Amino acid sequence: MRRALRTYAPELLLVVLIVLAAMWSSTLSPYFLNSVNLLSAAQFFVIFALMAFGLFPVVVQGEIDISLASTLAVGSVLVATFSVNGVPLALALPLVLIATALLGVLNGVLVTYGHLPSLAVTLGALGAYRGVAYLLAGDAGITGITPDYLLLGSSWVGIVPSSVILALVVAGVFWLLMGRTSFGRYSYAIGASPEAARMAAVPVNQVRVGAYALAGAMSGLAGWVWVNQYQSARGDNADGTILFVLTAVVLGGVSIKGGSGKAVGVLLATVLLGTIQTGMKLANVPGTSQTLVVGALLIGSIGAPRAVQLVRHALSPARRRLRITGAAQHDPDVA
Amino acid sequence: MTAPTTRATADAPGLVARLGLSDGAAALRVRFMGVIVFQVLLMVAFTSVTPRFLTWDNLQSVLFTAAILAIAAAGQTLVVLTGNLDLSVGSIMGVTAYVVFDLAGNTPALGPWVVLLAVLIGLVLGAINGVLVTVLGIPSIVATLGTLSLYRGFVSFYAHATEVTIGELPTWIRSLAPTRWLGLSSYVWIALALVIVVGVALRTLPWGRRLYAYGSNPRAAYYYGLSTHRIVIGAYVGAGVIAALVGLLLGAQVGNINSLLASGIEMQVLAAVVIGGVSIWGGSGSIYGAALGAVVLATINNGLVLLGVQESFRLLFQGGAIVAAVAVDALVQRRVLSATRRRSVGVTS
Amino acid sequence: MLATVAALTMAGGFLAACSTEAPTTAGDSQDTTTASDDGSMAPGDIKIFMAPKFTGLAYFEVARAGGEQAGQDLGIDFQYIGSDKPEATEQIATLTNAIPQAPDALVVSAIDGDAVAPALKEAMAAGIKVVTYDADAAVDARDLFINQLSYELAASTMLDAALINSPEGGLVAFISASPTAPNHTAHVRIMKELIDTDPKYSSLSYVDTVQFAGDDATKSQQLALGLIQAHPDLKVIISSSAVSAPAAEQAIINAGKGGQIFATGVALPSSVRDFIKSGDSKAFMMWDPAELGYVATVAAYQLVTGEITAEKGTMIDCGAAGTYEVLDDGEVQYNKPLMFTADNIDDFDF
Repeated sequence: MRRALRTYAPELLLVVLIVLAAMWSSTLSPYFLNSVNLLSAAQFFVIFALMAFGLFPVVVQGEIDISLASTLAVGSVLVATFSVNGVPLALALPLVLIATALLGVLNGVLVTYGHLPSLAVTLGALGAYRGVAYLLAGDAGITGITPDYLLLGSSWVGIVPSSVILALVVAGVFWLLMGRTSFGRYSYAIGASPEAARMAAVPVNQVRVGAYALAGAMSGLAGWVWVNQYQSARGDNADGTILFVLTAVVLGGVSIKGGSGKAVGVLLATVLLGTIQTGMKLANVPGTSQTLVVGALLIGSIGAPRAVQLVRHALSPARRRLRITGAAQHDPDVA
Repeated sequence: MTAPTTRATADAPGLVARLGLSDGAAALRVRFMGVIVFQVLLMVAFTSVTPRFLTWDNLQSVLFTAAILAIAAAGQTLVVLTGNLDLSVGSIMGVTAYVVFDLAGNTPALGPWVVLLAVLIGLVLGAINGVLVTVLGIPSIVATLGTLSLYRGFVSFYAHATEVTIGELPTWIRSLAPTRWLGLSSYVWIALALVIVVGVALRTLPWGRRLYAYGSNPRAAYYYGLSTHRIVIGAYVGAGVIAALVGLLLGAQVGNINSLLASGIEMQVLAAVVIGGVSIWGGSGSIYGAALGAVVLATINNGLVLLGVQESFRLLFQGGAIVAAVAVDALVQRRVLSATRRRSVGVTS
Repeated sequence: MLATVAALTMAGGFLAACSTEAPTTAGDSQDTTTASDDGSMAPGDIKIFMAPKFTGLAYFEVARAGGEQAGQDLGIDFQYIGSDKPEATEQIATLTNAIPQAPDALVVSAIDGDAVAPALKEAMAAGIKVVTYDADAAVDARDLFINQLSYELAASTMLDAALINSPEGGLVAFISASPTAPNHTAHVRIMKELIDTDPKYSSLSYVDTVQFAGDDATKSQQLALGLIQAHPDLKVIISSSAVSAPAAEQAIINAGKGGQIFATGVALPSSVRDFIKSGDSKAFMMWDPAELGYVATVAAYQLVTGEITAEKGTMIDCGAAGTYEVLDDGEVQYNKPLMFTADNIDDFDF
């Protein structure tokens, strides 16, 4: 029991925060505690959840991908173009997923085989793929989406919108993927120590590229969800949202250095962010306060546990840290 | 992000240090050359298609556009050298510009003291970043992502959706941008001066050397007895102060300042730093390279506008340039360091 | 194997339970009376939300003041909602979360006219009246659109401002906010037509490619500088964006070309007072955003109470603010342009 608590500590913290956030939101606004409203508001965060799940394995492996929002734009524009040209959804969707996965593969290849830093590569991809999206979309963007494409956004299972179901299914898939498959095990190993993983015969390169491809495909899927929600597609779709996605991943307990984090954490973090944002918007909290709260939440949730640790350590009388002073050192150049 | 996995590059910075300053400096110099070559190639390419590119009028316009980004890139380099990031630069710029000019507009007696005020703001905001990253141990991407929102939220709150209009800016700073010294805008000279100051300080001051040492190998630096907290906080404070000064200059350049000034500039600053050959993993790269990276970006933009290329292609080209620059940089690094490795094998065997 | 079977059964179950009927708000914690019930509500019950593109812009604050004035005059509950980020997703989230609060009307300036359409249609389906102002949404997603200036009037006024700056005419370049801002694209299209066909503007010529600055000041400046370099005989830069026009003018001054090249277009008088006084740019234009906000709110109120309908030909009486007629497609034209020049720039306090 105690071990379970410790392994799941970050996720439990998130659950506590969600409950607190929900309580706070319900005092802010009487409209909050309404299941239909909440689920309808949840739809809004499906896109970010999908991108966050796509980013999740990449970060676990110790890399990063900040181009996902641009990939989403390419995906949404492709979906819209297919729709307007009368291509059946069953054919269009796989094509879009393949296309966006290929964009991810490009990133992955540059990072893995090219040995280039992932931040720099995906920084370049962020601009380049955004340009591709603009080119494909043309000036005015695309409207007039055919109804068969919009089924996801206009159907419910009971009171739960289909897109939310999709997000939950994807969450489950990633929970299985990272927790139960060799891909997942390899990812954690690579994140902990790439050299050790390589020596243990882990196919590091393939796993890395695979994670990027998956991230791209998830963004493509999110692009389809986008078209469902906004019934249009433009080159600037989702511009600037990658920071929010990164926030969700980090908040979910995924270490930016790699090697740890759970899918359920990412899901909970998205729910937490969604709860707070929805609560604030339902209460018409001014935009500036919303920004402040999100920033404080990010710093607080990571910083507070460490601050507590520091304080406890400083106050503990029994152990004094050994201060390593300069004079007592080996000169690494001589050793 | 993980450090590079090939053995050569993992050992390399320590190796280069072990072999003495000359090879390390050589590596730096080679990376810097890479950026210069890239810039020259760009200029040649553009001039061949549109001769108007190479006119003095156009070139000084490119330099003017690059000036602000160059200073910002120099500041960011301090942080990147330690192996960290500062995503909150845009927000620091926005806060400084709005708050300082708002106060200056209401109390004209402040005069040049506004610069001191800006430095103070940059110092405080940068220090907060530094403390979050070192004392609280929050990874820099996360910490500065949080402060990006916090600082921006603060200025948004402070501004209450009003603007600081051009008329409220102190005249002496407002007249700075159009002023020309020796044919170049004063901003270009200011950028040059600031970049040189930071570059020289980094190279000559012991603090600068400690920064590079820490960035190359944080653990070794710690065991060696360097106060790692102070180094990193110092880097963030430097970046903060520089960002604040940039905020002042940017505000004066734009004229009408609202709470959204410099939103999203962090990506451009990172791009300039990366193109300029500064290693994202820390420990190597030069301030001058980063400043030149800003010039490269401005050149690309300018050339493409001259060619009448539409926005989407511009984005594509810029993104490709970033990847190309990083690839060239990695190639150069590997070439130089495999050469030094070969030499070291010869020495010790 | 077992997992696959389980997954398939679940999928089957879901598909069976799928429906395309939106669930109604059952078990409410709030009684929601919609405006369509009866027209005999006391004004104090009426709730109107104003949602600008985003809350950080001075222009929208002025419109807000007008809306709040209307709120006072009519005795209604007026609230100003929105995010401080200029992102479409943020505005849509704001609107989507406005619907459960059951306002009687929404007064909206849309960042992306197509993307907000689904949310606005949802609002209309819930009985909320939707009035757009400043920037329109898709025609079937709102009841009325209070257009500050008919696109033709806006275009000709901006060209007039250009001629005031450069009476001999010259080369004109355009900077808009985005390719999907319906007002900006219409303005540019009509300006080009007028330059081509109207003898009054025959001394002007234009650069065909339009630049887009997304209402960002720094980007507007970079674009302006680029345009100056790319077109040596450029005379005037015109922008419908109140952020871009002054920023472009400052860029021109920074480049040392103040008085030779001019920027003009839409701008708040406070942003350009300096340029007009120094003569660097002799004319900008706008309208009274406060009155625009006032009219939009009054129109929304009258729709709610049933005093008017959105049919063509209906007259909207806004008291001292004037009377306006509903035209095609629910468009109402406010049409009171203001040209700011050295003569009158000090008369305005916004």
